[in-house]
Amino acid sequence: MTDTPHVLVIGGGSTGCGITRDLAMRGFEVTLVEKGNLTHGTTGRMHGLLHSGGRYAVSDQASATECIEENRVLRDIASHCVEMTGGLFVQRPEDDDEYFQKKLEGCRECGIPAEVLSAEEAREMEPYLATDIKRAIKVPDGAVDPFRLCVANAASAQEHGARIETHAEVIDVLVEDDQVVGIEVKHDSGPGKREHKTPGTTEKIYADYVVSATGAWAGQIGEMAGVDVEVRPSKGVMTIMNTRQVDTVVNRCKPKGDADIVVPHETTCILGTTDIEVEDPEDYPEEQWEVDHMIDTLSELVPMLKDARTIRSFWGVRPLYEPPGTGTDDPTDITRDFFLLDHEERDGLSGMTSIVGGKFTTYRMMAEKITDHVCEQFGIDAECRTADEPLPGSEDFSVLRDYMDEFGLRSPIGRRSVQRLGSRADEVLKTGEPNPVVCECEAVTRAEIQDAIEQSGSDLNAVRIRTRASMGNCQGAFCCQRMAHELYPKYDEETAYSAFDELFQERWKGERHALWGQQLSQAMLKYSLHSTTMNADHDAVRTGDAIDFTAFDGGTDAASKSGATGAAATDGGVSSPGTNGGDR
Amino acid sequence: MAIHEDVLVIGGGIAGTTAALAAAETGAQVRLVTHKKSTLRQASGLIDVLGYAPDVDGPVSDPFAAIESLPEGHPYQLLGETAIRGGLTVFDEAVGEAYEGSHTDTNALLTTSGGAIKPTSRYPTSTAAGLVSDDRAMLIVGFRSLTDFDGELVADHLAAAGVPFSVDGVEIEVPGSYRADSRVTRIANALDLNKDLDYEGRSLPAREAFAEVIKPHLGDADRVGLPAVLGDDHADAVRADLERHLGAAVFELPMGPPSYPGLRLEDILFDALDEAGVRLSDGNPAVGYEADGDAIDAVIVDQMNKEVPYSAEQVVLATGGLVGKGIDSDREGVREPVFDCHVPHPDDRYDWFVDDAFGEHPFAKFGVQIDEACKPLDADGVPEFSNLRAAGGVVGGVDRTAEKSKSGVSLATGYAAGTAAGEAI
Amino acid sequence: MSDAESPSDFDTTAQSFEPVQVFPNNEDMDLRPGADNCYKCTACDTSCPVAEVDEDFPGPKFQGPEQWRLKRKEDQAVDDSIMSCSNCMRCDNACPSSVPLSQMHNTARGEYVSEEMNKLSQEYIRNRILANYRFFAKIGSKVPRLSSAIMGNRLVREINERILGLPAEREFPAFATETFREWWSNRGGPKVRSEDKRVAYFHGCYSNFNTPEVGKAMVRVFESFGYEVVVPKQGCSGTPMFANGMLDDAKREAGITVENFSGLIDEGYDVIASCTSCSMSLKQEYPELFSMDGIEDLSAHTYEAMEYLRINEDLHSAIEDASVEEQAYAYHAPCHARNQGLDRQAVELFRDLDGVIIEDVGDSCSGISGTYGWKKEKYENSMKIGEEMFEHMEHATGDVGMTECPTCSMQMEHGTGYDIKHPLQLLEEAVVE
Repeated sequence: MTDTPHVLVIGGGSTGCGITRDLAMRGFEVTLVEKGNLTHGTTGRMHGLLHSGGRYAVSDQASATECIEENRVLRDIASHCVEMTGGLFVQRPEDDDEYFQKKLEGCRECGIPAEVLSAEEAREMEPYLATDIKRAIKVPDGAVDPFRLCVANAASAQEHGARIETHAEVIDVLVEDDQVVGIEVKHDSGPGKREHKTPGTTEKIYADYVVSATGAWAGQIGEMAGVDVEVRPSKGVMTIMNTRQVDTVVNRCKPKGDADIVVPHETTCILGTTDIEVEDPEDYPEEQWEVDHMIDTLSELVPMLKDARTIRSFWGVRPLYEPPGTGTDDPTDITRDFFLLDHEERDGLSGMTSIVGGKFTTYRMMAEKITDHVCEQFGIDAECRTADEPLPGSEDFSVLRDYMDEFGLRSPIGRRSVQRLGSRADEVLKTGEPNPVVCECEAVTRAEIQDAIEQSGSDLNAVRIRTRASMGNCQGAFCCQRMAHELYPKYDEETAYSAFDELFQERWKGERHALWGQQLSQAMLKYSLHSTTMNADHDAVRTGDAIDFTAFDGGTDAASKSGATGAAATDGGVSSPGTNGGDR
Repeated sequence: MAIHEDVLVIGGGIAGTTAALAAAETGAQVRLVTHKKSTLRQASGLIDVLGYAPDVDGPVSDPFAAIESLPEGHPYQLLGETAIRGGLTVFDEAVGEAYEGSHTDTNALLTTSGGAIKPTSRYPTSTAAGLVSDDRAMLIVGFRSLTDFDGELVADHLAAAGVPFSVDGVEIEVPGSYRADSRVTRIANALDLNKDLDYEGRSLPAREAFAEVIKPHLGDADRVGLPAVLGDDHADAVRADLERHLGAAVFELPMGPPSYPGLRLEDILFDALDEAGVRLSDGNPAVGYEADGDAIDAVIVDQMNKEVPYSAEQVVLATGGLVGKGIDSDREGVREPVFDCHVPHPDDRYDWFVDDAFGEHPFAKFGVQIDEACKPLDADGVPEFSNLRAAGGVVGGVDRTAEKSKSGVSLATGYAAGTAAGEAI
Repeated sequence: MSDAESPSDFDTTAQSFEPVQVFPNNEDMDLRPGADNCYKCTACDTSCPVAEVDEDFPGPKFQGPEQWRLKRKEDQAVDDSIMSCSNCMRCDNACPSSVPLSQMHNTARGEYVSEEMNKLSQEYIRNRILANYRFFAKIGSKVPRLSSAIMGNRLVREINERILGLPAEREFPAFATETFREWWSNRGGPKVRSEDKRVAYFHGCYSNFNTPEVGKAMVRVFESFGYEVVVPKQGCSGTPMFANGMLDDAKREAGITVENFSGLIDEGYDVIASCTSCSMSLKQEYPELFSMDGIEDLSAHTYEAMEYLRINEDLHSAIEDASVEEQAYAYHAPCHARNQGLDRQAVELFRDLDGVIIEDVGDSCSGISGTYGWKKEKYENSMKIGEEMFEHMEHATGDVGMTECPTCSMQMEHGTGYDIKHPLQLLEEAVVE
């Protein structure tokens, strides 16, 4: 063993990033590998609720207590990722009084500040609540951006010396004599930042200890190591509204059920969710009834949702776990608690621990516990500081109040930029260059896009999750192209087009689920703009078709312009030496 | 009734104006009712007749020859070559010298703002020097502040397509002092009025200033392409001045919205309507109708909360597709909102699209089904009304986006519907 | 019905003004859901006359759906560029997806003025005065000749520019020696009575104080078609107040209009305006911005004068045998007429009138847009916007201008020196014996 133990963390979700940061801060040498972008798995597919704990106050008070503690921590260390919207548990006339009372008492027992509001008071807070609601409990729920939170954790870990490898899929867990000694990954485009066209490579990474923070994928990693991890992935739909119908988290105050929460998230609201067990966390049906169910049921709380525009829907897979033999049938009954599975104790395989279950809100606490566990393995006594040290972007609160006019941006754009960037705003926005808006829906400027490219390479989806560009109501109709332009000339023509195609298809994946009314018209405009106006669908470069240029109109006065257009054109494929696109 | 015409056309895009002009040609008194600004402002201004067809690899060079390969029920199959040629003739007469391409049946190839090469039938004169089948050396110029377009990237992409000329690209700073988020309308306006701009401490007329910035990058180029924001009312003069200062041909690359070629075409078409004596009412939507049996008596126009009947003998529906709001949808289904004409569509919403963003989307074909007389048909294949015809985007059954036949279908159906409506008087 | 009393008077000191709660509850102020309609096509931006000439104005798409969508509840600041919107409302007419653009702009402007503007600034006081033109017109018209002479004085104009921020280049419109309401009263009210053809006339400020001949033409034309015309007590339509973000003032005036016209609607009267901004206001802005009893009903019964006749009378037949003095007109359609779909009606009708040549001078904005061109700092842009119209007017055959809007007519006269007529005046010449 070297002086500094090397720990390898698998999974770039909230837990993996949190663990990586904690380990790095406690002096470990750490490598994080993630098969996609950061947040690629469940973290990037959650509703963005920062739990007050209210949702668990009746059914699972231990979780509820953890939630309120971590809620307070995140408000401090991740202020630029958190919006303290407050939350309401709204009771409709048909909802049980007794449950309402239990909820209120449960909150108080768990130390969650809770206040009963009359219907009028609740509607004064949220005017679009149904007129016939009975009353509500106000709790300190919030909204959190999981993308920026993960990215900030990873950035902090990097500052503490960690190596972060995205687009590095684990293809094997290396086991020698009942001990895990490392893993083998396939780098999509070589190690380091993802850059298109860089050929894929494989790499064996040896480590003194491996932590699998792969959630719903833990079973698959376990299998590679030869151990059984019985995760029970459960899917849930989330439907994104175009605007914020509510500025407060609105929960339905009744025992567990589908479609019972609306979370204001950045410029949108997210409706959630369902809870259905699936076989494979990457291949499951995404169904119309789930989307309809969100809209129809939640419009009982907020009637205007019925006809409001949704811009996309997505599904997340909960990494539910229960110890072997528990045998719960209904996934909604499976505990939301997390489990640390030390494979040495459990399976006689040393050098690896998996962490499964748990909730986003308590990611830091989970990371702390697993880091404690790793410390124990190595007999290291180092204190956890992740609850006290702010994440990059949240170091200085004052900047949030000082953004006005400083960056030469219109006030709503400056405000949104600073809300996203936090204390990094100065460094990112003050480039001294003209700074046009690239994504108008989400008010993202060129400077912010360039900053994200600097961080993440030519992967525009990685740029997207850092900036929110292309996440607004046009779903990238106008800005996918502009974002690709920002890659050039740092990256070449072929890379810019591939990155565009990838982002465009990714945007379509979620937008498909919102195709009626305004969003169908929007999608048709997007399709027309890219197909009719730009002909992206029949682009000869991308399809590889050769065009016989002589077979087409050479103009009315072609002869006078160029001698013999037809003849001169037959050699085809002459490209200017001054360009670097190259022939294909 | 106070407001009465022979033919009432609803919709002010290419299909509606073509129908109105064709109907007026027959001697009928025509009124065109349009609600908001048409989708011409979002379109490139190119008139595509047919760019891709089932049996043809790559771009179609002769659209007329490719018609027979189109599926049954396609508007071109229903209406035939005569309608397409009729529509093109109405268009050519209306636009005069503002467009080129009428000298041949062969498609022209132009570069889109996305860098791809696209086949089209009629193209604004302002784009003509950009023909890809022309072998003159090309410089493509982008503006650094204009995020929609990157001249260097487009040039590289063209080179990658193996075009028969050398091509270079450059991104320039727009002369004059603009905010970073300036609308392109500012640039177009400055060029249009040729106002003095600050350029390197001097004050120069806008067109000259632009030329000065471009000149150092000209190299051997015989032609210079710029994003299509070169003026509005005086676009020809803007181009001529730029050409004079640069000593090279200048052309525009059609852009997405806001589209100046589209805006200019809108002006030209509305001038042609005036010229033809067509009456115009714009700003209020058609929302319903009054009928006697299977004949429409009047179309109801909502004039700010007041339902006003516009009566006519014959009616042409040219309200556009999903973007123009001639076709409307909700979670339950798809409909045509003015006359509630039948719009065929799958019951299951998840059958409206496919998983590939550029796949064969059923939604791209949403619209009313027409017969050979352009009459919209009900679910049983019977005309919905005896005196209603449909044209343009509201007509379904064809993915004109993938086919690059959007304007062509509008011209053919507009011509056929307008002529038939006028002749029925 | 001939009561010329002012229903409410304006207090010039801003501080003592009692604010009216414009938005009865939060719901009315939150226009974020309106952003649902926007699909970013930029049709509004290409229709905006201000964005084309004013670098600081980012265009209606940003001012409307984008800015609203980016708002969070606790966010206060509205970008100050909202004050550069001239409220021409052309964006409304452009949007293919019916985004409530002008409503968003009006609301954001109201919020900006009430939350962020310094109430002691020259800009605020000047805007307040412009918005409340009627108040000053009422005083001025008591001694019309003297007022016109004073306001026309070059020195007075220069002082106005310095102290009030009104452009010295502009000449104040002269006050009529007899207001429309005085004429109406002296005439003894309606000359025609009818049970089934009855209209209530909203003349607005300008027809009353400055161009009573337009009001008289309206009365005579309608009476010639057999309509009973009544002229209820009324204030300002509110148009200049919306444009300056003075929503409290506008609500006060809207209340007066609704109060005095609602009862008449119940009795079978339709409401007619001769000024297209007044009709615009009653039809669209009232119900969009205020909730009060009867306001929707008022909107649904309000028409512009010629719009009403076109719908209910056969105007083409009525002018078939008419003869008028030979004259060529250069017609400009006001933006607010365009918005109501009325931009073509004058040309369409009068081109069939013997002896008349009428040419539309194009679809550009005149640039004055009510009070916009009356602001010193906007004057230059106002003239830039108007340039296209001036040019077209000069190229047109006619040397008399025509338009429905009083401020467009000021601008047309200011830019070309032509006399400007209202279409009702020509219609009067054609159809009134």
